[in-house]
Amino acid sequence: MTTTELDAQGLSKAYSGAPLFSKLTFRVATGLTAIQGRNGSGKTTLAKILASLLRPSSGAVRVRRGDRELSGDERRLAIGWAGLDLAFYEDFSAAENLTFFRRAAGRPAPPEEIESRLAAVGLTEAAGRPVGAFSTGMKQRLRVAFALLFDPPIVILDEPMAGLDADGRRIVEDLIGQRRRSGAVVLASNDERDFVEPEQVIALGR
Amino acid sequence: MGEWGNAMKFLKWLLLPYFAAFVAAAFLWPKPAEGFIGESSRIVFFHVPCAWTATLAFLVAAGYSLTYLIRRNPWHDEIAAAAVRLGLLFAFLALITGSLFAKVMWGSYWNWDPRESSFLLLIFLYGAYLFLRAAVEDPERRAPMAAAYALFAAVLMPFLTFVAPRITASLHPQTVINPQGKILMDSPTKAVFFGGLLGFSLLFFWMLSLEARTARCDRNQPV
Amino acid sequence: MGEGENRPRGTLSRVWAVAQKDAAQELRRRIALASVFFFAATALTLVSFAVGPIGVPAESRAAVISALLWIILFFSAATGLPRAYVREEETGTALALRRVTSATIVLAGKTFFNFGLFLAIAAVALPAFALLLEWQVDSPALLALVLITAGFGLSVVSTFLSALVARASQKNVLFVVISFPLMVPLLLSAITATIEASRGSLPGTALRVLVAYDGAASCAAYLLIRAAWED
Repeated sequence: MTTTELDAQGLSKAYSGAPLFSKLTFRVATGLTAIQGRNGSGKTTLAKILASLLRPSSGAVRVRRGDRELSGDERRLAIGWAGLDLAFYEDFSAAENLTFFRRAAGRPAPPEEIESRLAAVGLTEAAGRPVGAFSTGMKQRLRVAFALLFDPPIVILDEPMAGLDADGRRIVEDLIGQRRRSGAVVLASNDERDFVEPEQVIALGR
Repeated sequence: MGEWGNAMKFLKWLLLPYFAAFVAAAFLWPKPAEGFIGESSRIVFFHVPCAWTATLAFLVAAGYSLTYLIRRNPWHDEIAAAAVRLGLLFAFLALITGSLFAKVMWGSYWNWDPRESSFLLLIFLYGAYLFLRAAVEDPERRAPMAAAYALFAAVLMPFLTFVAPRITASLHPQTVINPQGKILMDSPTKAVFFGGLLGFSLLFFWMLSLEARTARCDRNQPV
Repeated sequence: MGEGENRPRGTLSRVWAVAQKDAAQELRRRIALASVFFFAATALTLVSFAVGPIGVPAESRAAVISALLWIILFFSAATGLPRAYVREEETGTALALRRVTSATIVLAGKTFFNFGLFLAIAAVALPAFALLLEWQVDSPALLALVLITAGFGLSVVSTFLSALVARASQKNVLFVVISFPLMVPLLLSAITATIEASRGSLPGTALRVLVAYDGAASCAAYLLIRAAWED
């Protein structure tokens, strides 16, 4: 099976003034890549750039499978992303949210599929409740479920442990553990304890 | 800004005597046209170039908006915005000169003439573009948004300018734009008229360069 | 896992999913939907009070009523249609949408939803208008045709422009300001077509202009939405 690779070349980002980071070049193919840095060092920005949610000031991010460069829908679904400003439709239930996102992406969304995904993050009980009634921890679990919704080979998680209780932490740690073996995980976090023997470290800020 | 800056300097010194000669010629050289009241036909030397320049400005803005979206060069966005600001100015001048002429010829400033109305709409369009720019606070988003709007408007422009001819009768004099496609002017008039078109176009480009550069200076960005 | 399985299929079903989601959202919290209809009702009533008692001479009745109708429809649309994009940005759900689907699919889905909303507004406004102002429509079928053709153009332009205002300040005023110049050709043609339709004659020229406008606006919106939606 061909590996999907994320190729970052000369990435830099500046918002009127000194750049947050510049000329970052690295590749993500397998294992755990850690993005470290203090608050405000640009971890979230970099994570978003890798997920094609933001344009870099210069440089480029490419997604390759074998010798083919992915674009459009294929590229979108090859990368999973979850960050703290990921928000859901509060009037809909968790199940309805995930069902909608699957359908919008053109993928089948049978109820069993959605149920199993919610079960994987421990949200089975709350599946039918509107997201507006969720606690912070529950919303965070839903975010992780969102990142994994299309079984992407590369998953980018920005502060995935935020607001999680011990159970939630364990679930996410297990998921990261699985994913880094079968594909790649890019983890951005303030907390060094989140990084368990990363294959690659990108340190931001000085 | 090397050679471009030098070209602009040269243009500036050229425009000064050119316009002096042009204005003098407009009032002194050709005879007033028939069918017009008194000397009022002379307004065509100023009114039409203003209208033309306003349209030129729109084309320039649309063109640079397109190249901005393709290459994302911030200068192109700057030039597009400057072109719209200038276009607004010239459209206003066109409307004012047109209204003055209308008052002299037909006794009222506004007549719902199709071309008048489409120019008024053009002014609204320019204003809308500038309002949009002012309303997008994030500088990163402002340029692509403005460019998208400019191009969307450019596509719908033909409807803006041609919806007017649905009202068949137009008060606009037919000396230049007429069914036969011929230019019904004598030689001195033709000379001053096209001289005006050229002069105003050059003036526009010179002002464009100035406007774009000062806008960046105002924001303490490199020129 | 073959390559074919990873390629999403069914653009139409994706567009439908977006439109359906918008509809479900609006129907769940009916307040926003109700406010659009309330606005239209208020405008209608105001116009009727102003014009009704005075009476419009028979020759100009069709023209005046058609013009007023489209003014009311324009402002009602300006009140209700932009919500589709604005709400996504305000609640922060736009980010998720950007990750799972393309700009054009979101645009198409929201345009169809907005078109449906416009038709609903027109379906309510028109009979009420006809009743209150004693407007005689000789050919309701032709009138429906005009509403559909002009309404589609209105929806396309409104939806696209609302993507622009969704991340700006002064959204309400901004939307009216930027949509007005572009809508004038549509509204003028719609008014002309409405007058002719109410007299029972096919508004050939106006309909042609409207169809051309719809086509041009759709193509332009399709090509430009990425610049407006993505970062």
